[in-house]
Amino acid sequence: MSSPVTMPSPDAGRPPLLEATGLTKVFLSGGKSFKAVDDVSLRIPQGGVLGIVGESGSGKSTVARLVMRLIEPTAGRILLDGEDLSAMSGEPLRLVRRHMQIVFQNPHSALNPRHTIRDAIAEPFLVQTQLRGIELERRVDGLLDIVSLPKAFKYRYPHELSGGQKQRICIARAVALEPRLLVLDEPTSALDVSVQAQIITFLQELRERLNLTYLFISHNLAVVRYLCDHVIVMNRGRMVEEGPTDAVFANPSEDYTRKLIASIPRLPQRAQT
Amino acid sequence: MTAFLTIEDYRLDIPTFDGDLKVLDGITLSLEKGETLGIVGESGCGKTVLARSILGIGPARGKRMSGRMVFDSIELDELDESEWRRIRGVKISMIFQDPMTYLNPLFTIGRQLADVVVAHGRAKAERTPSRDEQRRRCDALLEQVQIRDSARVFDSYPHQLSGGMRQRVLIAMALAGEPQLLIADEPTTALDVTIQAQILELLRDLVSRLGLTVVMISHDVGAIAAIARRVAVMYAGVVVEQGRTEDILTRPRHPYTQGLLAALPEIEGERHVLEAIPGTIPNLIHPPSGCRFHPRCPRATDICSVEKPVARSIGADHVVACHHALA
Repeated sequence: MSSPVTMPSPDAGRPPLLEATGLTKVFLSGGKSFKAVDDVSLRIPQGGVLGIVGESGSGKSTVARLVMRLIEPTAGRILLDGEDLSAMSGEPLRLVRRHMQIVFQNPHSALNPRHTIRDAIAEPFLVQTQLRGIELERRVDGLLDIVSLPKAFKYRYPHELSGGQKQRICIARAVALEPRLLVLDEPTSALDVSVQAQIITFLQELRERLNLTYLFISHNLAVVRYLCDHVIVMNRGRMVEEGPTDAVFANPSEDYTRKLIASIPRLPQRAQT
Repeated sequence: MTAFLTIEDYRLDIPTFDGDLKVLDGITLSLEKGETLGIVGESGCGKTVLARSILGIGPARGKRMSGRMVFDSIELDELDESEWRRIRGVKISMIFQDPMTYLNPLFTIGRQLADVVVAHGRAKAERTPSRDEQRRRCDALLEQVQIRDSARVFDSYPHQLSGGMRQRVLIAMALAGEPQLLIADEPTTALDVTIQAQILELLRDLVSRLGLTVVMISHDVGAIAAIARRVAVMYAGVVVEQGRTEDILTRPRHPYTQGLLAALPEIEGERHVLEAIPGTIPNLIHPPSGCRFHPRCPRATDICSVEKPVARSIGADHVVACHHALA
């Protein structure tokens, strides 16, 4: 790819919270190898929101999983706040994991149907902290409050909640341990547009309130445009283009990006009421 | 011009253990020959149940409580199964969201397409088309959906084709009986945006080339806007607003339509504040009294919880079911 134009960015002075260089992932199946991610590099400053857009098979979700170390990179380095995650394993990796959390696309399958909402939100504390008893219950209540759901939800089961409510529970669970980085892998794709609007607005508020940094994966360019200050466009495992969101959307420099943007059906503009 | 398809005050209940689901509550729609009508709404609004009911493949336990559907002077609700066989695929055809589900993974595309061609050949000419005729017809159908390498596709299994190709094959099958009305239920929802653009282009092309009449169901306002001249907006089993696409999208009058559009992030222009519609969709076993949207409606007053709003005309081809439709 061509080297991106260096733009003066408001984040210029701050060190990156997440930095990944040369990320590559090769999957082997049936004796054949498939390069799902090919030399992807990214950096997100503290408090920034980086979007990765691409169509199915572009490798965007694989990048999310690599960054979280849910799968092992074939090559490349991942630094979280200067610490090299790619070299870590065992207990140190488990401890660093509390600083980064992921929210998946489908809230219906991300929650254990036999656990109450309280159990889902309490689990990170049981795994990562010594917090128990009344203190734990208080934290669970507080998290429900953060995602604007009533405390009565604690004793409900996932099937009693709507898709948007379940996604809020997943977000509550992800922010439970006050992580610094939140990876959001298509968090609104399974939701209706009116619910998607709730979740996007909520994510914007939450980021400011908890000083979070987001890596936001989506196939929906319009959503990325609303939420992200920088964007990476991926196709077939490679980075096609990157830059500040407004610049990439207004003046895409690569043909693929132009085609992607042009494919989105336009709506006639609403008359002002 | 007389209507090609008319749906009048159509009411459908589905009995469940917890009570009757009132999934369609007095649907009234009509479309003219050669027209493309979009039906847009969020999950659970009844758009798919409505689409399938047009083809007589609605929910098995569904009970029609009132109303009727008339297609080309045929009373659809009075047909028996043998009469339906002369309608389905021949006069009215349907394509679905996920083409993989509707193709048999064990047979080649050619074999499955030929089956459809043979079935229609028998129904129309009362004989089985010869092998050569079958192949010619299959090639013609694949060409009609703009598949250029039809020989390769003919010998492929479904898993060897991309999602967009599979959807083209499904459209070819739907066209095999030369239907006049095509019902497309979320035909591009499972596809990437660049492929979606191609399939929408193909549907537009078929409408103009074959004079097809299309009912397109989608939750995606953008996809509907790209293809439909008229649009009906559904909420909780009710058509809340219908009219010309341009009017509905630029001057929506029903609070639900306005809410739906205000919730959409835009790809260009100024970024307006995204407004979510408060609350959640109602349980249709006990739907809200009066207007089904009133518990979530910013304009609701006392009358809204008491009286069901009657759909009224508020302009040339623009109908709204709301007590407080903005003038």
